[in-house]
Amino acid sequence: MKTIALAACVVCLTGTPIAHAQSMTTEAVVSAGASTDEVSAIGAQLRAFGDVMSGVRFFGEAAWAKSSNDDNDFMGSAYPYNGRVQIIEAYAERTFRPGEALVSIRGGRFRTPFGIYSASDHAYSGFLRPPFFRYDEHEAVSNNFLEHGADLVVGVPRLTLETALGAPADVGTAVRRSGLDAVFRLQGYYGPFIAGVSHMRTSSLKSAEVEGRADFSGLDLRWSHNGIQARGEWMTGHPFAGATTHGWYADTFVHLVGMGPVTAVARVEQFEREEAGESEEEPARRQVIGVRIRLPRALTLNVDVVHRMGSVEAEESRPTTLDVGLTWSVRPHK
Amino acid sequence: MIRPLLAVVLLAFSVAAPASLSGQSAIDLHGTARAGGGPAPDTVVWLDAPNAPARSQGRVVLDQRNLSFSPHVLVVRTGTTVDFPNDDRVFHNVFSFHDGKAFDLGLYPVGTMRPIKFDRPGLSRIFCNIHPNMAAYVMTVDSPYFARADESGAFTIADVPAGTYKYHAWRSGAAMELAGTWTATDGSLAISWR
Repeated sequence: MKTIALAACVVCLTGTPIAHAQSMTTEAVVSAGASTDEVSAIGAQLRAFGDVMSGVRFFGEAAWAKSSNDDNDFMGSAYPYNGRVQIIEAYAERTFRPGEALVSIRGGRFRTPFGIYSASDHAYSGFLRPPFFRYDEHEAVSNNFLEHGADLVVGVPRLTLETALGAPADVGTAVRRSGLDAVFRLQGYYGPFIAGVSHMRTSSLKSAEVEGRADFSGLDLRWSHNGIQARGEWMTGHPFAGATTHGWYADTFVHLVGMGPVTAVARVEQFEREEAGESEEEPARRQVIGVRIRLPRALTLNVDVVHRMGSVEAEESRPTTLDVGLTWSVRPHK
Repeated sequence: MIRPLLAVVLLAFSVAAPASLSGQSAIDLHGTARAGGGPAPDTVVWLDAPNAPARSQGRVVLDQRNLSFSPHVLVVRTGTTVDFPNDDRVFHNVFSFHDGKAFDLGLYPVGTMRPIKFDRPGLSRIFCNIHPNMAAYVMTVDSPYFARADESGAFTIADVPAGTYKYHAWRSGAAMELAGTWTATDGSLAISWR
């Protein structure tokens, strides 16, 4: 897989003269929060990105985060809270525009391109917890899945096919066995709608009792208009032979003229796991309402009220919790 | 006695020659913008000229690239349409709610763009609702005579018809906008925030 990643980097770099106008931006983010779930967490990310050569961009990100309760998904929306400094993404990327077409190749270490997958889609976006099926512990498509390999986007801007080939390089507690990964995502864009179909065939989790391949399929849809954004994903798959996980979530973001620095958010979701054709427990259901408020001095406040129903986990947790998180984000160098 | 007098007359004629010959001469206004003793890049300077004839600004673009807006400061004449292409593989949600033009562009993927017509003068603060460190300014002015200072604080407003103008200068972070009067015979224009 290192060969694939290296080859992609070479393609990115081939034939590119050193540009006179190289640029680099660094960004630091520090977040801290607490929940009435009797958990608190703190995390930090450092990013560097820009143009390394004419037409070639780079992105690198390192993260550290720690939670007082590793089994709780509070603040775990896009980064592992395991108390270790880890490289999250590190890649080079080049985009070509031959005529009306779009071709983009990325090589290195990057997030698994399944569904709505970028860090900025999930991290501190107003929700302090990841959707159920994107949480490490739920044997589905974790937000902490990473690939070592190459990623190719081809098409026209309104319709693109993204293909990633690589090896699992996950962070967090849900770590897949080594092996060849293949991820496909078809994305279409029309007016206010962006829709995607994803499929992934990969190795099963190391923690799975049964070895074998895992496969997941999903649909995602986004709609935005005049400050209102709705998005959702549906996913089903087999973390290993004989087991099935499926779930969905739907999010709404409201940021209208007159709301100033406030964005209101809401989420409903459901997740279910079956083994040998039988559901293990009641489907887990959760509803979230909250706000994200931009404050002065590069601060952002997130406040969520979370209500859970069904599943053993919900019974072990408080049915309703209040989550509060504060994020400080700056660009010291640009 | 005649030679110095002739030289003065010739010099005066050379400065005023375009105005005298065409009746609507134009000069390039060169200036510098400084703040706190150093250069003030991205300062916007414009001259009041609400009834000036139309002048093409070409395609005006405020790009979203590398999780940043480029340029950071843009100045356009009232009525100009600015294209907002997404040049990143992640989504952005560009919006402006304060003063100036209010809009929300929603989500659109890499390789696509959405236009906004800035149809009223004033300052528009541009943000991305997904990436909190992305910010830009669009200053819309009711005049074709404007410029943005470069990294050294230097600026040039080209083809300004001879005359007397009220000038304005704005830069992000400054407590106040500067204004004054400039006449073509003044030569260069020095803007300074103390």
